[in-house]
Amino acid sequence: MMRWGALMLLLLAACDALPRDPAATSQRIAQTHSFSVAALDPSVREARDARRLVAEIERRSGATAQWSRVSGEAALKRLDDGTLDLVLGNFDTASPWATDVALGPPLATQGKSSDAIELKAAMRNGENRWIMMVERASRAVSAEARTE
Amino acid sequence: MSDNSLPDELAQTMRRAVRLEYWNIFWTATVIVMMGLVLGQSETMKTAWVEDTLGLVPPIMFLIAARLESDGERSERYPFGFERVNGLGFFVAAVALAAVGALLLYNAVVALATQEHATVGSIVILGQDIWLGWLMVGAQLYSLVPPLIIGRRELPLAEELNDKLLHTDALMNKANWLTGAAGLAGVIGLGMGWWWADSLAAAVISVDVINDGIKALRSATAELIDGAPRGLSSVELSEDGQKLCKRLREEFPGATVRLRETGRLIRAEVHETHAPQECRHPRHYWPGDEERAWRLAQVSFIPPVAEHDIGTAGPD
Repeated sequence: MMRWGALMLLLLAACDALPRDPAATSQRIAQTHSFSVAALDPSVREARDARRLVAEIERRSGATAQWSRVSGEAALKRLDDGTLDLVLGNFDTASPWATDVALGPPLATQGKSSDAIELKAAMRNGENRWIMMVERASRAVSAEARTE
Repeated sequence: MSDNSLPDELAQTMRRAVRLEYWNIFWTATVIVMMGLVLGQSETMKTAWVEDTLGLVPPIMFLIAARLESDGERSERYPFGFERVNGLGFFVAAVALAAVGALLLYNAVVALATQEHATVGSIVILGQDIWLGWLMVGAQLYSLVPPLIIGRRELPLAEELNDKLLHTDALMNKANWLTGAAGLAGVIGLGMGWWWADSLAAAVISVDVINDGIKALRSATAELIDGAPRGLSSVELSEDGQKLCKRLREEFPGATVRLRETGRLIRAEVHETHAPQECRHPRHYWPGDEERAWRLAQVSFIPPVAEHDIGTAGPD
């Protein structure tokens, strides 16, 4: 019985330990207490849902957002390079960037389903622990928006 | 001789094999659906999913061949019936495996070379955020079970029917644990932050698929170009064929004996010898177990031809 209990604890610990980030993004943010963020378009920075998301991520990670002035495709390139941790922007549902970066769940949607534009967070591909945190925060923010 | 291509003794075994292959398709479909639901961007999962989908080709080809063999009658257009449909199905399955395996390997190598980092995010189940990788692990574990059970059941039937297509499928299913282990390692490696583990596991699975395809291709091609009988899932000459050759040479010294396979049947030609005076069923010459004598469908005798006989005109 004790052995099964120990095995279960070990498995639960493993469940929490994974996934890890190949470039240690989550680890770096935990150590430095800061993460870099940019907006695809400067107006996105002032959007209510975008500000809520950044606040939620700050709360969950215990880190502070450091806003970068870079925008547009340059921001997405820096995200891909790993010099930015998070980019917020409005993306088409069939965005060509979907394979180059990891897009989180939508925070807000404008337009009809075939032409919808969604406000989303973009993270570097493969940084799965960081991606999970941002996804959780995004879902919390969009759930909160739906109840208002 | 039966009107169709299937020896009468095999009818019941064939019915069991057909039933099993329908179940094979069903369980393989459940694996495909399960894996498809949790694919994500993982190269490992995509490759494993394609491999599982390819797993439908052998049973489908087997069922088509079995239907034609059992129900197709000999006719003027098809005097030998549909004995070789199984071999053709085997060839098609082999080409599919080899070609798709090569494509998968290419994708995996490109992903490794370009250092692609696969994103595996989270999914909400019953209000909880779960890492999709755990569902992938679950799907991979499930995908190990049906092929293992089906492979074990296919093997004795394949040996009884001397069916290369079924035998190859049985061995592939039984060996599926290897690709399952590679798949699990790929997903866990991805979770550990080793981005290369995903593409590496995909490459390992692809090599296995190519290997299966090439082995099957060699065996299938040998039959289709009238090669000597090969063993089941082997490129070596079959023991049955070698014993038969020896038996015929002993009975007809000095003769040239040629054997070929048409599906599960062996056809023999004895050259430079007149046929024996007494009427003998081909099975008379079968050297091994009498229950397997159905394999020898034909023994033809080609008498010696003197040089001055060559080129002479036909009847006056």
